Amino acid sequence: MSLRSHPVSAGLTLLCALLLAACDPAPQTDRYGDGGPDAGRAGFAGLGAANDGYAHARPGTRLNFPGDHGPHPGFRIEWWYLTANLEDASGEPLGMQWTLFRQAQQPDTDTAPDPRAQPWATDQLWMAHMALSRGASHRVAERFARGTSRPRPQTARQAGVTAQPFRAWLDNWQLESLATDPTIDALSHLRLNARAEDAKGPFGYRLDLRAEGPLVRHGLEGFSQKSADGQGSMYYSQPFYRVHGEILLDGAQHTVTGRAWLDREWSSQLLSPTQTGWDWFSLHLNSGARVMAFRLRGGGDNNGDYYSGSWITPEGKVTPLKADTLKLEPLARAEVAGQTLPVRWRMTLPQQDLTLDIAARHPNRWMRTSVPYWEGAVTVKDATTGAPRGQGYLEMTGY
Amino acid sequence: MRLMGVALATLLSHYRRHPGQLAMLLMGLWVAGALWSGVQAINASARDNYARAEALLGDDYARLEREDGQPLTRDDFIRLRQAGILVSPLIEGELTTDDGMQLTLIGIDPLTLSGDTTLTRSGAPGALQHFLSSPWQTRLAPDTRARLGSQPTVHGGTALPPMIEVPALPPDTLVMDIAIAARLLGTGDAITALLGNRTALTAAPDGFVLTPADARASPRELTQSFHLNLTAMALLALVVGLFIVQAALGLALEQRLSLLRTLRALGVSGRTLVALLVVELAILGLAGALAGLLSGVWLAQTLLPDVAATLQNLYGATVSGTLSLPWHYWLGGVAVSLGGLVIAGSGVLWRASRLSLLGLGQAQAWRRGYQRQLRVQTLLGAVAALAALALGLTPDTGLIAGFGLVAAILLAAALWQPPLLAWLLAMALRVLEGASRPTRRLALTQWALADLQLQLPRLSLAMMALLIALAANLGVSSMVGGFRLTFLDWLDQRLIADIYLNPPAAQFDDINRWLAQHPAVHERLTTANADSELLEIGAPNARPRRPGLPLPVFGITPGETLMVDWPLLATLGDRDAAWQTLQQGGVFINEQLARGHHITPGDRVTLTTPGGRQSFSVAGIYPDYGNPRGELVMTTAQVRRLFRVPPRSMGIVIQPGEDPGQLRQQLMTRFALAPHHLRDQRQLKATATAIFERTFTITRALNGLTLAVAALALLATLLAQAEERRRRLATLWALGVPRHRLLTTQLVQLAGAALVTGLLAVPLGIAITACLVWGINVAAFGWRLPLHVFPAEISLTLLTAVLVALLAAGLPLLKLWRTPPRALLAEEEAG
Repeated sequence: MSLRSHPVSAGLTLLCALLLAACDPAPQTDRYGDGGPDAGRAGFAGLGAANDGYAHARPGTRLNFPGDHGPHPGFRIEWWYLTANLEDASGEPLGMQWTLFRQAQQPDTDTAPDPRAQPWATDQLWMAHMALSRGASHRVAERFARGTSRPRPQTARQAGVTAQPFRAWLDNWQLESLATDPTIDALSHLRLNARAEDAKGPFGYRLDLRAEGPLVRHGLEGFSQKSADGQGSMYYSQPFYRVHGEILLDGAQHTVTGRAWLDREWSSQLLSPTQTGWDWFSLHLNSGARVMAFRLRGGGDNNGDYYSGSWITPEGKVTPLKADTLKLEPLARAEVAGQTLPVRWRMTLPQQDLTLDIAARHPNRWMRTSVPYWEGAVTVKDATTGAPRGQGYLEMTGY
Repeated sequence: MRLMGVALATLLSHYRRHPGQLAMLLMGLWVAGALWSGVQAINASARDNYARAEALLGDDYARLEREDGQPLTRDDFIRLRQAGILVSPLIEGELTTDDGMQLTLIGIDPLTLSGDTTLTRSGAPGALQHFLSSPWQTRLAPDTRARLGSQPTVHGGTALPPMIEVPALPPDTLVMDIAIAARLLGTGDAITALLGNRTALTAAPDGFVLTPADARASPRELTQSFHLNLTAMALLALVVGLFIVQAALGLALEQRLSLLRTLRALGVSGRTLVALLVVELAILGLAGALAGLLSGVWLAQTLLPDVAATLQNLYGATVSGTLSLPWHYWLGGVAVSLGGLVIAGSGVLWRASRLSLLGLGQAQAWRRGYQRQLRVQTLLGAVAALAALALGLTPDTGLIAGFGLVAAILLAAALWQPPLLAWLLAMALRVLEGASRPTRRLALTQWALADLQLQLPRLSLAMMALLIALAANLGVSSMVGGFRLTFLDWLDQRLIADIYLNPPAAQFDDINRWLAQHPAVHERLTTANADSELLEIGAPNARPRRPGLPLPVFGITPGETLMVDWPLLATLGDRDAAWQTLQQGGVFINEQLARGHHITPGDRVTLTTPGGRQSFSVAGIYPDYGNPRGELVMTTAQVRRLFRVPPRSMGIVIQPGEDPGQLRQQLMTRFALAPHHLRDQRQLKATATAIFERTFTITRALNGLTLAVAALALLATLLAQAEERRRRLATLWALGVPRHRLLTTQLVQLAGAALVTGLLAVPLGIAITACLVWGINVAAFGWRLPLHVFPAEISLTLLTAVLVALLAAGLPLLKLWRTPPRALLAEEEAG
């Protein structure tokens, strides 16, 4: 099943644009066919467009749980993004991803159509991606749904997210909280279920996720700046999951264990008009520490790249990383699906006295979704000794 | 090169001397080409429409329906999606613009609709945002948009969403997002269908029934027979037209034999000569084909509204009233005309290539050659007859074989006709020779017969064309006439009530109670209907078959009046027994279903009902003309009970002597019914008859045109030989035969030949009628008609034959009449 040929692909550009940016500014205008009025003027697919009417991510905004686990329909874009480094009983590594995206169709949720009068009317679009990979095998599926910001019983919605009890779903793909104790965070114990089928047969997973640490707020108490001119998003993570469960891949069922990372992010204007894409890392170090780091290509000081990240101690204490405390450089590139992508990186963290070599487990992690991007598991080694230091996930967009 | 130019100019100069021949040639090509390309234009246009209708859904989708027969809702969609079954909702409904234009509105959810069809593509790239949210978009074909005008409104002033043209959409169809479509149609939560990709959705989930992708009948299949019919008629016209061309070409060559010899003697090689004739043919062919093509388009435009109406009436297939022609249509039209010309001209070319330099055109030598030709024709006719026999004896043949049979019969008859005429003439001559004392009158008759024998080679082609046209005409008009009789009869039997009432559902019971008390009402025949699926057919001593076919079910009230008249074709036991079985829970099926699935009375059929599977005994088969699909009836009470549906309409039979108009008036005033809630029998019959007449307008028009072409062929042939014959007549005149006698002789000669042709056409026409009603109709429509023979129709055919011949002979004779005898003699001397 070629997801790329999906007829709705072109229109969902904005949703996907969260992940990506165009490879160079010139063809940005209408690369994915989004002929909207903002397309040419304001960065990739209008992501940097003026957004009057939408709520804004600002420094000083306080995060509130469990409410912020749920959707923020007043913001244009939002996601629930889960990646995991797994291994089966024989120790063979696997990677998985499950993401639910939301995009508002209009800023004003008060004027959204009443679902009782107009059952099909939509002011929120939902999109979900799932991926499961092992060695050269990389399976991807994508689905869409219409939704509304107006309240409606859960059963009457094809897709959505509820904060209490926590549940995020599209069709039969769902991530739900198993935490029954109201005093502990809803995301501390999750179950994920997803299954898809294409011409190569069915694949899917059923995973149990338990957090071994607290939620982590990135940037300034959850406000994550994305460019020198102050654009940004609300961004927190749960990077401390231990995972066990079952996966179905290439006709075989496997019992798997591993570590997972959940990202929550929402914004109305993520990129500045000149930014073209990003390289984003989430690393589980053997020491128990976690690293989140990204490079936004363009939009930094003097139009250079913009660097940001978080050093997370095993206890969940965050030290923000900036251009002077975080260095990322590509070491080797590979040809993937007609694109040339950096699949080996060097990450230098001078404050932590760490120089890490990060390499994709397999270059073939191209997501052939309506707007394609690269997302895959990586190994982390000490740059000088070559000793294993951990593992993680890498996402590269806009190439 | 220069030599060739001169030679070509010399060859073509012939037509300057004989512009009539040129006109005839071009006319033959033009007429043949016009009819052929006209019909092809109609077919191409309709096919394009069907292709668009089919591509809308493609055969990619299977459909789900609820097992309990309840309409699908949004909740069903959500429930199935959450169970991991990837279905997409579709709503479909009729929308009438404020200008009264009827449109089909389809609402889709592009987010869940997968696959590569017009429907998915019509949510075109780049504008999904605009498609999905206010003010939304209307996707429609350019032809629909043109008819809609610039500011179409619905519901008294509501503007349609901004219009975007998608050429691949079928005519009169609007595609919108499901949200706005549901609002415009007022469907709320209801869904017309749930679609799933055929590869993903292969089994029905619990509580649902699956209709596989290929079980849906497409308009292309349904209307195929209709278009095949048109094509066959057009082919007939093409063949007849080519007869004209052949005759004209033959004549033009005959008259240029001496010219050709002179050219050869002057050093033009035989090969060059043939090449030059090919060039001549090509020039003429292109001119004729182009003229034919242009007239064909005009003809198609004239006929298309009728064709569109017919298709809508017969099959419910929407065909745009405007012509849209693909490029290959134009190329095809020219190719067919040129191809036909090559076939018609090949004989001429062959003869020209074998032209002996010193040989002399000799009529008697020609005749001897003709004898050989007759023997070959007889043999070929026998082959065609054998083919017809083989096709006729093969049981259960399809539509193409049916037309093949008709073609073989026509071919055999046409091939045998000249030998038969020749044999008849020879016999007549022998009889005359045997007569004891030659008289003056006898001598003239003998001359006339011998002369006709001499004319036969040239005339036979035209007579063959006439025979084919006459026989086809008789066959088709008998079929149409027979159908008309049967259909009207059947209407009388089916429409037995005086008033048909279709009240709003809420009022049904009130009206029913009121009518029950009304003294003028004799019987109330309520109906109901439901949609079901034919799951299984079980016959004794046979394995059950599982067609999985969607099947509409109708309820009838077997009242006294209905049972007497309701037509039945076959029953298990006698009529009364069949009705008794029906009242005890049995069913009747229509002829289409019976033939299509080989069901006979006594078999059992299993249907889906809201309460689960139900099995019924088939008690009888009824004729159901004008309906291409299978259908089943049971008692209304049973339909209502099993399918949980309300009654739908009611037929009211009035007491003898009472006035239906009065009751109608009472009903309208008392229950505030609108005129469309009530229809009287006369009105229904008039509508049905109008539909029927419309259906056969095209057939009749083409039929008439074919006959006209045949008459033209005969005229062309006679004109071609008029001059030559004048010389021969001059001799007779010089011998003292009066001019009026000469003319009468000529007329009698031709009328006789035409009469023989006409007489031959009668049995041939009846044979064709039989093929049409017993073979082609059954294959095309699924019903069989009784064979009707119309003596008036036959007399008309004979009369037409003679009239056509006299008409064709008239013009040359008029010319002859006006020629002074001296000129005739002068011509004889010159010749």
